[in-house]
Amino acid sequence: MIKVDTSEPDICVVVPDSERLTAANATAFKDHLVGLVDSGTARFVIDMSGIGFVDSSGLGALVGVLKRVGNRGEIVVCGLTDSVRQMFRITRMDRVFAAYPDRAAAVAALKETL
Amino acid sequence: MKIIVADDDELQRMILSAVLKEIGHTPIEAEDGAEAFDLLCKHRASVLVCDLSMPGMDGNALTEKVRATIHDRYVHIIMVTGHDQLAARQHALKLGVDEFMGKPLEAATLIARISIAERLVRHEALLQEKNRILEEAQRIIEQDLRAAARAQQRVLPGARVDGPLCSFYSAFVPSSFVSGDMFATFDLPDGRTGFYAIDVSGHGVSAALLSVAIGHLVTQDYFLANSFAPDGTPEPARLAAALNARFYHEDGDDYFTMFSGIVDHATGMLHFCQAGYPLPVIVSPSGATHEVGEGGFPVGLLADVPFDSGSVPLAVEETLVLYSDGASEAEDAQGTAFGEERLAQVIIDARARDVTTIPDAIVAALTAWRGQPSLDDDLTVLVCQRRTQE
Repeated sequence: MIKVDTSEPDICVVVPDSERLTAANATAFKDHLVGLVDSGTARFVIDMSGIGFVDSSGLGALVGVLKRVGNRGEIVVCGLTDSVRQMFRITRMDRVFAAYPDRAAAVAALKETL
Repeated sequence: MKIIVADDDELQRMILSAVLKEIGHTPIEAEDGAEAFDLLCKHRASVLVCDLSMPGMDGNALTEKVRATIHDRYVHIIMVTGHDQLAARQHALKLGVDEFMGKPLEAATLIARISIAERLVRHEALLQEKNRILEEAQRIIEQDLRAAARAQQRVLPGARVDGPLCSFYSAFVPSSFVSGDMFATFDLPDGRTGFYAIDVSGHGVSAALLSVAIGHLVTQDYFLANSFAPDGTPEPARLAAALNARFYHEDGDDYFTMFSGIVDHATGMLHFCQAGYPLPVIVSPSGATHEVGEGGFPVGLLADVPFDSGSVPLAVEETLVLYSDGASEAEDAQGTAFGEERLAQVIIDARARDVTTIPDAIVAALTAWRGQPSLDDDLTVLVCQRRTQE
């Protein structure tokens, strides 16, 4: 359910292969990313451009991965759709996850922090 | 194992029966299809050896009747035909025969066929037993869930609470038995009314355990002790901060969104903390609506995050409506969410008729939108109406 692009060194671009991040797939999503964290990846771009809906479980999964990364790295998001942006705003996740318009901008921003 | 042997030829029956007895089974003989069917039912046998051609109900008709009427077990049907009756065998297969034996009968073939049937019958009995255990387990789980749902209902206020200064009207609809939502209302000293609504992430039993725990924890005393500054000023954000400190776990995934409020009837102000809960709406007498709050961190999701208290005027003529995200996110068959705009219209229309009908109107609108009686997510609607003082 997830495509991972590691063509950039030290940065893992994650593209959820689903239009929704909800209770139905949030655990699998989190487990997959936590697996990547545990094997050494610490910088993630999560490309949300294909995701039209994130529910409370999906949000919990994103924050769960963030907690796992901790101070060792960073997670940024890009391509937020209107509904996801609204959800991020109401839950203040826009202050937790830096958001960029697209993947290139997100990767560029992460590179600067390297 | 009881085996029904159906053949109009007495000699053929005797040969079959002798072989079956030899290998330890109990043959029960029938002269035609009708008798075979009666014996099958009477003895609850699961294996039938039958001749294709019999007077009256023949092997095919018997097979059809067995398949059409016996559903509590699988009857394994072995049919005896001539070796050259290929077309007849294909037809019989379609009707539901499992295996064939040719004439003249060979004892070795019969024994092999019967041992296959016996294996299948045993396997089926095992599956049935497992199924029975599962059904029993499910019955107990559902019974427990119904008891849990009743326990949860008892923690909740009634659908209508008429306090001295404020009335609350609510709807509480779990998506399945128990709910991850919770709410409460409090008559506070000094002409104030308090309330909160929460929505635990996810739904189902684990969410409900947390929502009920919060329901028991946040009593009127707890609310009072944690919602005011030392000088007595309403500061609902303190409640969110206290709950965040209590429920945040480094390795946990559970969290909840919350809206808590204190209506100060002397000043006509609503003091609130918006902790990731959907933005409530205030409806004015003219039917105009505006949202309350701008969002805030959910509770228990992140450690040491700041929570903000805000305040807005809430006139006696105005109505405050809270709903959990199960309302705005309810989807129709095509996956279209009901959304805030449709919700606002339902609220405005219902309020114009009678403010007390708002919760049921929202539930009815969502049920119609979804096209099915159950909801995907837990739903809470809480309507707060200040009362005109005489």
